[in-house]
Amino acid sequence: MGIVKNIAAIAKGMSVTFMEMFKPTIVENYPDGPGPTRGAMFQDRFRGMHVLQRDENGLEKCVACFLCAAACPSNCIYIEAAENTETHRVSGAERYAKVYNIDYNRCIFCGYCVEACPTDAITHGHGFELATYNASSLVYRKEQLLAGTPAHEGANAIFSQYENARLIPKK
Amino acid sequence: MAGSFMRRIAVFMADVTLTVDGKKLTVPAGTLLIEACKSTGIEVPSFCYYPGLSLQGACRMCLVEIEKMPKLQTACTTPVAEGMVATTESDKIKQARKSMIEMLLANHPLDCPVCDAGGECELQDMTFKYGAAESKFMDMKNHRDEQQWSPVVYFDRPRCILCYRCVRVCGEGMDVWALGVQNRGSGSIIAPNKEDHLECEECGMCIDICPVGALTSGAYRYKTRPWEMKHVGTVCTHCGDGCKTTLGVRRADTGMQIVRGDNRDKSGINGDFLCIKGRYAFDFANNPERLQQPLIKRDGKFVPSTWEQAFDLIASKFQEVLASHGPSSIGVVGSNHTSNEENYLLQKFARLVLGTNNIDHHRTADFPALASALAGKKDATASMRDVFNAPAILLIGNNPTEQHPLLAWQIRSNVRLHRAKLYIANSSPIKLRRQATAFVQIAPGSEGAFVQFLTANDAAADAVASPQLTREALSQMRDALKSESGLVIIFGSELRGSDVTALVNYGLSLGAKFICLGDYANSRGAADMGLYPDMLPGYAPVSSATRFHEHWLDEVPTAPGLNLLQLVDAAKAGNLKALYVVGSNPVARYNIDPFVLSKTFVIVQDMFLTETAASADVVLPVANAYEKGGTYTNTCGDVQMLKKAGEFSGVRNDFECIVRIAAGMGCDVHKLVPFGGGGTRADMGQSRGAQSGESDQHAVWLADHNLEPKMSPYDPVAMLDEIQRLVPGYDISRLGLLSGHDEHTQLVQITGATGMGHPELVMPANDKLFTSGTLGRFSATLNTVMERYRTMPEDVEIAAGYDPMVRE
Ligand code: SF4
Ligand code: SF4
Ligand code: SF4
Ligand code: SF4
Ligand code: SF4
Ligand code: FES
Repeated sequence: MGIVKNIAAIAKGMSVTFMEMFKPTIVENYPDGPGPTRGAMFQDRFRGMHVLQRDENGLEKCVACFLCAAACPSNCIYIEAAENTETHRVSGAERYAKVYNIDYNRCIFCGYCVEACPTDAITHGHGFELATYNASSLVYRKEQLLAGTPAHEGANAIFSQYENARLIPKK
Repeated sequence: MAGSFMRRIAVFMADVTLTVDGKKLTVPAGTLLIEACKSTGIEVPSFCYYPGLSLQGACRMCLVEIEKMPKLQTACTTPVAEGMVATTESDKIKQARKSMIEMLLANHPLDCPVCDAGGECELQDMTFKYGAAESKFMDMKNHRDEQQWSPVVYFDRPRCILCYRCVRVCGEGMDVWALGVQNRGSGSIIAPNKEDHLECEECGMCIDICPVGALTSGAYRYKTRPWEMKHVGTVCTHCGDGCKTTLGVRRADTGMQIVRGDNRDKSGINGDFLCIKGRYAFDFANNPERLQQPLIKRDGKFVPSTWEQAFDLIASKFQEVLASHGPSSIGVVGSNHTSNEENYLLQKFARLVLGTNNIDHHRTADFPALASALAGKKDATASMRDVFNAPAILLIGNNPTEQHPLLAWQIRSNVRLHRAKLYIANSSPIKLRRQATAFVQIAPGSEGAFVQFLTANDAAADAVASPQLTREALSQMRDALKSESGLVIIFGSELRGSDVTALVNYGLSLGAKFICLGDYANSRGAADMGLYPDMLPGYAPVSSATRFHEHWLDEVPTAPGLNLLQLVDAAKAGNLKALYVVGSNPVARYNIDPFVLSKTFVIVQDMFLTETAASADVVLPVANAYEKGGTYTNTCGDVQMLKKAGEFSGVRNDFECIVRIAAGMGCDVHKLVPFGGGGTRADMGQSRGAQSGESDQHAVWLADHNLEPKMSPYDPVAMLDEIQRLVPGYDISRLGLLSGHDEHTQLVQITGATGMGHPELVMPANDKLFTSGTLGRFSATLNTVMERYRTMPEDVEIAAGYDPMVRE
């Protein structure tokens, strides 16, 4: 009796295995998939590497108010403010962020900074490939975070880091 | 301020009893309701009311209900009355306050994210408390561009809530009257005195007092936000008045950078007062020319070196010179900007380790003369606080408005709020004469003769005579002074030597207290700590046996050493083999030909490559007073604690440098700095007492004062222990010091020897409002205000059209 019971149990288990074998796969083919994300797919609400947005004129939205830095629970945002002049205008308001660093060694992707921002300047993009062998390269500067084009011109957050690589002139 | 004013009236007026929010309280009659509430811990919101300034009644935030009065009343203008019953919080009041805020916000730009006041704005706080988050107004806001009125003052008109605090503090407080009001009613506009810009003292008081971000500071502009800073309370390092300042510091590439100075918490002798130097001129610390590495001169060129190399070179050079030419071939120059501990250590190093009395500093006032004239009399010096409370003040010489801004503020406030009597004798029509009960313009250089005249020597009147002076005015002042009790006598460096003695004898007969005005932040400390060739700390003559001889000074020559000018002569003659200059620039100050020092091995500790440093052989880059701990003694003798606020990479403080050099010379550092001690772990079983075979008096003193032995030879507090133990007058409350208070010292000389000091060596720097010796040269802000480059008219006339007594 015992043997029959055991064989039945194995057969039942294997049937699940064989059934699954012939179903289509639902795991993303990352990193070997197509497109700039190499097969990775995201929910819209996914909180990835930040993107500093631009307004419709292409000016930076960030006005260096430090509110994101104040909201940040891990204290990883560092800002230095500067004043726009007639000849050098960076943002739409009186001031702009001359330096804007996020330290991804510490960021916990909580989104508080995005909540705090009065100008919707800082957003979460979908960039996630942040791993590195060198911790000091995890401090991202403004140039790395900034969107290439205004959002309505298609600054899709998912692609922005690839766009940046293309649009920001090399020194 | 108003508090002590009220207390003073209280002497004459009976108390009244009233009820606020069900609490019964008794306050002196004449107290304003808002102050009465404050005294019992009830906060009544206010914008336009500011203690110590005239009443305005403009904002109507302080509305309260008072029984038997038909409408809501403004607590800031209502004096208390017997049996008054007031309510400070009710729905009706809340509603009234809310609508007042709605009105204020009607044209307010609400650009808090980019406003420098954001985070510490009184309008933000009130809106948060009383609501009014939605506006009922449909109209477009009336925008005006921000205006820059001066390098330090910016004005954003739509943010202004017309509380007139700025106008009042500039006029009543500063007596500058640079801000005025244009138009009437809600169309009023705050306007600067020169149409589109300001010409004033640039003190920043108006910015500080503005409850919103309408007036903002050019120096702090967009640097950071209030919550991003660390706030450190320390002492201003410019003039001799010793204002407490709260520095806002923020991390930067070079360390901790100071980005703001103010004193909003009103701690310290200055309340919220700071002049331009205290408020903005901390920026010398960030000057790009600042040295970050020790420099050693090789073949006429400076090459950067390590600290070890520099210390080794200095120590071996000192030893070499000592061996070949003896201690008298070495000179030491101290500083008016280093702390008491460093000054004390420096003279101890010179006398104990180098074995010479050749030590001096840039003398800016004749403190020794005052010390010896007082001859040990206690409680005969006035503190900076006394200047605000004294019923009468006599000011001889000096121009405090320019040279001692806080002193001038204290005098003005005292006259304005307490109706103090102010008597001035000066050779020019200084601005403070506008507050004076009596002013005599005496002939230049006749301050000494004026003192003679005061002491009933009528013949001296001729020497004092000037075209602007009548004989009657002179006599009247003398007669009036006779009947003044509680007089504070303040005198500048014009009076020295025997003049000071005469003045002190005259003043003591009236029961007066004295203040001698020296130029720099620690000029008094340098004098008290014995940076003199003929005096030890406490103005004790080197020739007589003192407590210093008992404790550490056994082998020092009892003959006076060379003073600064004699040191220069010795260098000229080739007899000065080494010169150690700490935080001072004698080459520029005394106009010395740098060639004179070419045969001398010169060591300079400074922040910058000054003229003296340029002719040095070794330069050590050191921290300034904002970057270290210690104590400062202001010109009145009030001691305050320095706290480390800024940080600059690559520098060390003077204290450490001196100790390291002494250690390099093989000196037992325990003898120099009393650290470690009986039975503590840091002691390594070697207490000083055990070594010398005596009972350890220092340890006994420490135990007696509930203090612990310090663990590090670089801890200035260990030196403070010794100063407090040995220097007369410095036995002040340590607790008071540590909690940020100012502690007044006694000016008592150890032995009452007279005829001390060399009046001819006193060379006042006469810095003005916009200069501050070497520090001022490297301060960007002080160099950008245009008032620096013009002679201010002695009198800035009252801005036309604004009369503080008339209210709308
Ligand atoms: S996501 Fe959170 S942790 Fe990361 S920067 Fe924003 S607030 Fe800071
Ligand atoms: S990102 Fe937003 S919250 Fe952060 S400083 Fe810029 S404007 Fe302010
Ligand atoms: S003197 Fe100048 S800076 Fe000072 S309160 Fe007046 S206007 Fe403001
Ligand atoms: S500028 Fe500031 S202090 Fe002056 S009236 Fe306006 S709100 Fe008050
Ligand atoms: S009055 Fe003197 S101590 Fe006070 S802030 Fe000005 S310079 Fe500094
Ligand atoms: S505080 Fe009383 S009216 Fe402004």
